[in-house]
Amino acid sequence: MRKTFLASLAVLLFAFAAVAGEKPVVGLVMKSLANEFFKTMEEGARKFAAEDGTFTLIPVGMNSETDIDTQINAVENFVTQGVDMIVLAPADSVGLVPSVKRAVGAGILVVNFDVTLDKEALVANDLPEDFLFVGPDNEEGSYLVGNFMAEKLGRGSKVFIIEGNPGADNAKQRKAGFMKTVNEYGLDLLSSTTAHWETEEANTVMTNLLTRYPDVKGVMCANDSMAVGVVRAIEAAGKIGQIEVVGFDNIGACQELIKEGKMLATVDQFGPEMAANAIKVGFRILGGEKLSGWIRTPVQVVSAKDF
Amino acid sequence: MPTVLEIRALSKSFPGVQALAGVDLTVERGECHALLGENGAGKSTLIKAVCGFHRADSGTMLLDGATYDPATPHDAMSAGIRVVYQEFNLLSYLSIAENIFFDRLPRNGVFVDYPRLYREAQNVLDRIGLDASPRTPVELLGVAQMQLVEIAKALSADCKVLIFDEPTATLSPKDSGRLFDIIRQLKSEGIGIIYISHHLNEIYEVADRLTVLRNGETIGTRNVDGTTIPEIVKMMVGRSMESEYPFSEDVRPNEKVIFETRNLQFKGSAHKVSFQLHEGELLGISGLVGSRRTETLRALFGADPKIAGEVFIHGERFDIRSPRDAVAAGLSLLTEDRKSQGLILDMPLFQNTTMAALDKASAHGFMDRREERRATEQYVAELSIKTPSIQQLCRNLSGGNQQKAVLAKWLYRDSRIIFFDEPTRGIDVGAKYEIYLLLWDLIAGGKGVLIVSSDLNELMGVCHRILVFSNGKIAGEIARKDFSQEKILGYAYQEYLK
Amino acid sequence: MNKKRLSYLLMGEAGIGIILILLCGVFTVFGRNFATGGNMTNILTQISINTVIAVGMTFVILLGGIDLSVGSVLSLCTILAGLVITNKDMPVWLAISLAILAGLGGGMACGLFNGLVSEIWKIPAFVVTLGMLNMARGAVLLISDSRTIFNFPRSFNVLGSVTFWGVPLIFTFSVVIVFIGYVTLRFTVFGRMIYAIGNNEEAARLSGHNIRFYKVTAYVICGATVGIAAILYMLRLNIASPILGNGFELNAIAAVVIGGTSMSGGKGSPIGTLIGAAIMGVLNNGLLLIGMGDFARQVVTGFIIVLAVVLDTYRAGLSRMLE
Repeated sequence: MRKTFLASLAVLLFAFAAVAGEKPVVGLVMKSLANEFFKTMEEGARKFAAEDGTFTLIPVGMNSETDIDTQINAVENFVTQGVDMIVLAPADSVGLVPSVKRAVGAGILVVNFDVTLDKEALVANDLPEDFLFVGPDNEEGSYLVGNFMAEKLGRGSKVFIIEGNPGADNAKQRKAGFMKTVNEYGLDLLSSTTAHWETEEANTVMTNLLTRYPDVKGVMCANDSMAVGVVRAIEAAGKIGQIEVVGFDNIGACQELIKEGKMLATVDQFGPEMAANAIKVGFRILGGEKLSGWIRTPVQVVSAKDF
Repeated sequence: MPTVLEIRALSKSFPGVQALAGVDLTVERGECHALLGENGAGKSTLIKAVCGFHRADSGTMLLDGATYDPATPHDAMSAGIRVVYQEFNLLSYLSIAENIFFDRLPRNGVFVDYPRLYREAQNVLDRIGLDASPRTPVELLGVAQMQLVEIAKALSADCKVLIFDEPTATLSPKDSGRLFDIIRQLKSEGIGIIYISHHLNEIYEVADRLTVLRNGETIGTRNVDGTTIPEIVKMMVGRSMESEYPFSEDVRPNEKVIFETRNLQFKGSAHKVSFQLHEGELLGISGLVGSRRTETLRALFGADPKIAGEVFIHGERFDIRSPRDAVAAGLSLLTEDRKSQGLILDMPLFQNTTMAALDKASAHGFMDRREERRATEQYVAELSIKTPSIQQLCRNLSGGNQQKAVLAKWLYRDSRIIFFDEPTRGIDVGAKYEIYLLLWDLIAGGKGVLIVSSDLNELMGVCHRILVFSNGKIAGEIARKDFSQEKILGYAYQEYLK
Repeated sequence: MNKKRLSYLLMGEAGIGIILILLCGVFTVFGRNFATGGNMTNILTQISINTVIAVGMTFVILLGGIDLSVGSVLSLCTILAGLVITNKDMPVWLAISLAILAGLGGGMACGLFNGLVSEIWKIPAFVVTLGMLNMARGAVLLISDSRTIFNFPRSFNVLGSVTFWGVPLIFTFSVVIVFIGYVTLRFTVFGRMIYAIGNNEEAARLSGHNIRFYKVTAYVICGATVGIAAILYMLRLNIASPILGNGFELNAIAAVVIGGTSMSGGKGSPIGTLIGAAIMGVLNNGLLLIGMGDFARQVVTGFIIVLAVVLDTYRAGLSRMLE
């Protein structure tokens, strides 16, 4: 609550200062800055704003992954202050749609990035189904890294999927990508279990799964934090080299593991540039271009040969 | 008079104990029947069997001539048997009326019918003469008024037998008198009353007959008229006692002052309090309930904060801010409420015994089990505490033995100055006598003892000197040769009559 | 065995021990590879961290208190220790030693804060530790700039996987902590006072004891166990992270309560807590091994927590019947 209040206050102060100047104002609504991934993304956006110098950036972060209130309040404050553009990474793909509608109604350009707004909710609020979205293709990313592992293991190998938070959109998309790999290579999926994005839980889940299925050959993790826990479990079981692990996000700890050969690959979705990319797309529209639908940002498999 | 409740050969045993071994008791309509006996004699078990908390092993009960065998307390209540307990069962934030009708509030659809509730409550309050609005929250009432609410609660439904368990324990003499008037009125309404009390003189005020229990058996039933106190005591303890109080002219207080307080003031005190306690002296403190006797002791002991005042022990000034300071300075306080303040009920006897002197029963931070056992066994023997083992939880000890356990704890501490707040409340005659003997042992050993008691006879029986508190002020000091009830009460009311 | 002895055992830790054995029996029959040495090693590793935190929590709950901050304080301790241990200017042995002190010190400082604030201003521990939960989380994000720390010294990392005849090293640490907790509570003056205060604070105070000292110390002990748990976490997973530990407080409280410690204080023991943590660990492991899905597992785990506590109330009655 307090945090929400402070965030609103910050937005107001910034906005007053900004509106007084001539430069266009961009409101950036981020997810949890406790998450390293979003933290570097926010820093990337700030850096871009400083280098570009033609606009004023007001970033707002939130408390936790599920703190929707702060986001809704931030969007509404931006609307009140009449900013030129709102760049939004929604914490809830349905819950933020009414706020987006209010902003669009007030004539503010809204650029959706990171996670897509829900199509049904968009239609229900009289917004276009192909609402502008700038972001990586999570499904494509996990499909690519999944394929990278399947090529190495061969058809019909035994694998696990370690899922993210049940219900989270990116978790669903990444699982869908892995499933595409599983079907295409005829992999033998022994188990698909959630570890709620958490290292410790992934470690416990992997240890237990190894007991049940000691002959597994590959593990596809929906994020790198969980991949760290999985690798530790394999290490503790003395099976390093016998089981391949892939992750998603390209965090520092996993780069290290890949260099050491304990992990096969991860997916880089160029997080630091993601928010900046969304802002760039926004300016293209403000500059007169007609864009809609999904503007894909690159995803790339990162493996040992990249170091 | 027709019999309302008849109990024949009722027996009940618990693991290791035969609590009731064939008890007979008859209560007639409109009679007040006193139930007497030492702690552990079986009074509580009998009442619990009548009220449906325990199921008897054998024997029969007849209520209005019909077989009566309550399986639950609720059965007993619907049959018309009600109890006014020593500890009240009132919900302090609710009004008098809501408390009286708590289990059967009159309803208007889903809503409580408040006009009817207050009307009916008023009727009951009129019947027992409680002069308060039924809307008053119970927390604003005094102890005596709360008890009246309990009685009103019992009378609000059809009541055939009303049981009073130590009703005067928390009442002032004046309030007790009023209670007796109410009991007499209930008798005239034809209700059968069972009256339990340790104060034998009260029996003569209200009871018609008395039944004495000992070791779970009925010793006898007598008419109150024509039975003397020594006779009753003999029935209760199984032997006759020469005197109710031990007092010896041979043990005299020393001139030496071992404890002195000057100008003590604490929160809520209207007057400054100063007094001295001598070595080997048994000093009594009397006064009405609410005259701040207990509060004074607690402030001296550091249990509650004090505002001003000095304390000298053996002439040396001590700054006592907490019970810890007090114990370190050589003070002990045996509080009035042993269950919530004196003992840790869910811990074993031996752990309670050493609780105030852990330093004596430990070495290098570890408890010395052998010393704990030795000390506890010593006090179990000296105080004749009845317990199956020193491992017994204090919760399972009877009231008198709990009080002895508190004594054991402070005797083991071995302080030079000991404050007792109502040391014999709720204890039977035999155990009382043992406690008096113990107090005398203490002063003979050169300690200073201070007793707060509401029982005037007790104070006059055992003390060298009595201080009388009246509304927070020491209204008078009486030496043993001048002791009289009139004098004490005169001082006690002094500040209230101004 | 005579009846009295049996009833005594039922009253004590053996009662929940029976539940643990029953669970193991069920999983041995239905779970694949449950009753293997390797799997037992895994379970012991998995319960180590929770056990250590729960022992500290036992002290606090015995006093009738609670500590909701253990999860985020754990995270704070890992980052403090992680910053020290990755310092390349020191010899490895020194870095590791100082890291352990940093974790322990951080935990104890947070515990001291919890204890002092709730005792001096008489604020419910629930509120103070809820505040600490947020403060520690904010502090760890600030200190770490929300980055995960890794690359610990190799000699430190390998310790996490060391086992002796199938018993993981980190579990032996937990057992030592449980043992120290047990001896402290059962045989020392300090332990006697914890039970006394938990049962009846006023009676303990009127017996002339410094209640505040014991209560504050209990929170410091809880903080210290969190610091130790942080080191175990780093041994096990070789990372220090500012976002770990969410919900750890609930797991610790569950282990304490399943272990037979009363939430209102005064009754319980660290041995029970260890068994409580083992029940949670066995459930987590065994349900996965019998192939139960994510959501059903959560339902069953919750149900068994309630069931264990309900059975506990019958245990007292059963033992009384036998007496």
